[in-house]
Amino acid sequence: MRTTLAVAALLALMPLGLPPYAMTLLTEALIMGLFAMSLDLMVGYARLISFGHAAAYGLGAYTCGNILLHTDIPLPFAVLLSGLFSGTVSIGVAWVCTQATGVSFSMLTLAFAQLLYAVAFKWTDATGASDGLAGIPRRPGPFGTTFFASKIGFYYLTMACLFGGFLFARALVRSPFGAVLRGIRENEAKTLSLGYNTRLYKIAVVAASYMLGGMAGALYAPFAGFANTELLFWLLSGQVLIMVIVGGTGTLVGPILGAAFFLFVQQQLSIYTDSWALFFGVIFIGFVLFAPQGILGLARRGRPTEQHR
Amino acid sequence: MDVLPFLVTQCLNALSQAALLFFLGCGLTLIFGIMRIVNFAHGAFFMLGAYVGWSAVRLTGNFWLALIAAPLLVGGFGAAFELGILRRLYGRDGHAFLMVTFGLTLVMGEVIRLLWGVEALQVQIPAALSDIVFILDEPFPIYRLFLAGSGIVVGLTIWQFLERTRLGLLIRATSQNAEMVHALGTDVRLVRSAVFGIGCGLAGIGGVLAAPMVTASLGMAPNAVIDTFVIVIIGGMGSFLGSMIGALLVAFVQVFGSYYFPDLAMAFMYLIMLTILVVRPGGLLGKEA
Amino acid sequence: MSLLELRNLTKRYGGIVAVNGVSMTVEPGEVRAVIGPNGAGKTSLFHLITGVVKATEGEVLFDGQRVTAMPAFGRCQLGMSRTFQITALFPEMSARENTSLAAQARDKQRWLPLGGQAVFAEAARRGDAALERLGLTHVAHRPAGLLSHGDQRLLEVAMALAQQPRLLLMDEPTQGLSVEETAQAVEVLGSLFAAGGLTVLLVEHDMEVVFRLATKMTVLHRGTVIADGQPDAVKADPAVQDAYLGGYA
Repeated sequence: MRTTLAVAALLALMPLGLPPYAMTLLTEALIMGLFAMSLDLMVGYARLISFGHAAAYGLGAYTCGNILLHTDIPLPFAVLLSGLFSGTVSIGVAWVCTQATGVSFSMLTLAFAQLLYAVAFKWTDATGASDGLAGIPRRPGPFGTTFFASKIGFYYLTMACLFGGFLFARALVRSPFGAVLRGIRENEAKTLSLGYNTRLYKIAVVAASYMLGGMAGALYAPFAGFANTELLFWLLSGQVLIMVIVGGTGTLVGPILGAAFFLFVQQQLSIYTDSWALFFGVIFIGFVLFAPQGILGLARRGRPTEQHR
Repeated sequence: MDVLPFLVTQCLNALSQAALLFFLGCGLTLIFGIMRIVNFAHGAFFMLGAYVGWSAVRLTGNFWLALIAAPLLVGGFGAAFELGILRRLYGRDGHAFLMVTFGLTLVMGEVIRLLWGVEALQVQIPAALSDIVFILDEPFPIYRLFLAGSGIVVGLTIWQFLERTRLGLLIRATSQNAEMVHALGTDVRLVRSAVFGIGCGLAGIGGVLAAPMVTASLGMAPNAVIDTFVIVIIGGMGSFLGSMIGALLVAFVQVFGSYYFPDLAMAFMYLIMLTILVVRPGGLLGKEA
Repeated sequence: MSLLELRNLTKRYGGIVAVNGVSMTVEPGEVRAVIGPNGAGKTSLFHLITGVVKATEGEVLFDGQRVTAMPAFGRCQLGMSRTFQITALFPEMSARENTSLAAQARDKQRWLPLGGQAVFAEAARRGDAALERLGLTHVAHRPAGLLSHGDQRLLEVAMALAQQPRLLLMDEPTQGLSVEETAQAVEVLGSLFAAGGLTVLLVEHDMEVVFRLATKMTVLHRGTVIADGQPDAVKADPAVQDAYLGGYA
């Protein structure tokens, strides 16, 4: 808890020292961090490897975009509502996907995301088809404040979402519910035979994951000012999975670091080459081969880890 | 246009499409059935085949030479990847393969972009196949007939190869009990490299054959890999016959769907897959849940 | 009333009849062993009782309640706890976390998504008690995957006990153990059963183990019950001798 507060304080002071372009990058890193962390709930705690997590992001982004374009709902509420919507939709998705396990589950999540991607291209009224939704505003409020519409205000809103999401996710994985998830991760058949209805637990964790992922997407729409089909594309699903693995699964913090690392490397490499994806692919393969426990796992190696309890 | 000629030509179209999908699907399912590896890079190997094919045609001016060279090169690269990288992952859970091959997809996409550029590359249809025939008075490209035919030929060849040859027997035996095959004095590791190479080589053939129709482009890999997974999931992971049925189903849905419901064709494909998975989680002919 | 009652239970796979019209009961407090040669239908019967597979015909009643169509986790919630033929544990968790997670399944608030310290405390208390009963307290903090094979089997029993089951179902409790490990396990289980308070149904093919542990026996042969009763009486039954014990007694 003390570390969390210290990091929060440090991040809160960032706007004082960093130039605007760095603040933009940092804001994006926090959004991606929230997105990656949300996926870790599934991947790291229930071994539900989703290849379609862009669905959560895109759902959140399009929902938030529509709310901001067509209603007067203040920005922070729009973000929350979009997260809730994404989480609710995912209950249906999860109900279908949890019919299968293992690689089939992964492929089903991918298919669902691609289905949404296909729908987004055709449903012009809601998504603007291939043009996307442009000019998404940051609505003022609540109580008429324009603070969150400013660059720094938006940064603080993003920070609040990330920390709120982190505390929620951490409480979740340390709760009795989280203990059952760990059981599912290690031996699902045994967990079932102990009397847990494992499918309900899996659906619940998918919903929580989609809710936080949806919030991340919901933040991205007003951050970038647009939402397009890229946000539902499988490449994004793959990238966020890379962030989770490279950061370290089952740690919540790791994937946030992974997201920051990913954006930083992308930023640095793109100065010298436009083939940053090449280097990223190589780095990723290296991590899977030699350090499957990720950055955080490498940092913790040698130190005995205290089990969460 | 009359109904009958239309139906016949559309069916032939779907068959030629199915042949391409089958090259992809049977390679993926072969690799999965025998090695329990889900090769996400399958679409990238397909794309590599198309680009290598383009270069081979340019260098030699001979499409048939390209059709032989490309699968060999692509398959060789696949086998080398298995030897150098995948081999280190045996014993890890299945998702490690999925992730490594995803990384490979990124790498291959970038390397191809660096080597061949971003422009889509057109491969000429060989002169012998560039004509049009009239089927029930409807014009139809010979090349598509050739595609459909080659799908049938390759399908039969693989089937016979698995059933009749010694290597085929070893491959089937390895899929059932690798330790036993190893104990009987066969180097299972070589069998695995070979299988991975053959699977990738099949994707390579598909790539060369597809190139004259769709041009070699960087968008090939993701589209191909998703179609391939749909096919294999519909048919059942690891089932050879299943991948054939899946390819036919997807091809017919794509061809007829895009004619009658152009807006929904893509969605149809996923809906079929989801429906099948809900009813039979292991796919039509799959054993795994 | 019987704790468990099977009425005319039948399971067919295609044309193969694995379990054929089995009727039997388990009374509170007894340790009943189901025995039979390989292919007698023991494992299929066990699956039918635990709810892993669904019966083709017949009924399963638990404490008078019909559970024939109930899924496995539902039956567990009624008080049936089981162990597996091939040890099933959470290998990366400590032994203590294993029993605790098992005990938690009995808590009404087992799903609590936030907080839950009281749930954990109660589960740990019950889990620790179960570890103690099986003499595993000294390995409580070791990862389950690193325990000896014998201890892993006992840990699985401890997990079932931590659930304070009304009926303990054991699938071949000494399967895969060495001769010494088997002797040790029988010792521990024997004194556990002797202490009373448990109702047990175990499936086992090792006759030595069965005669040491069981107070009642049911003999299966080709999917049907051919004998039922006290171990000594069953042992003397000529039909049983014929079908199964031929080479043994």
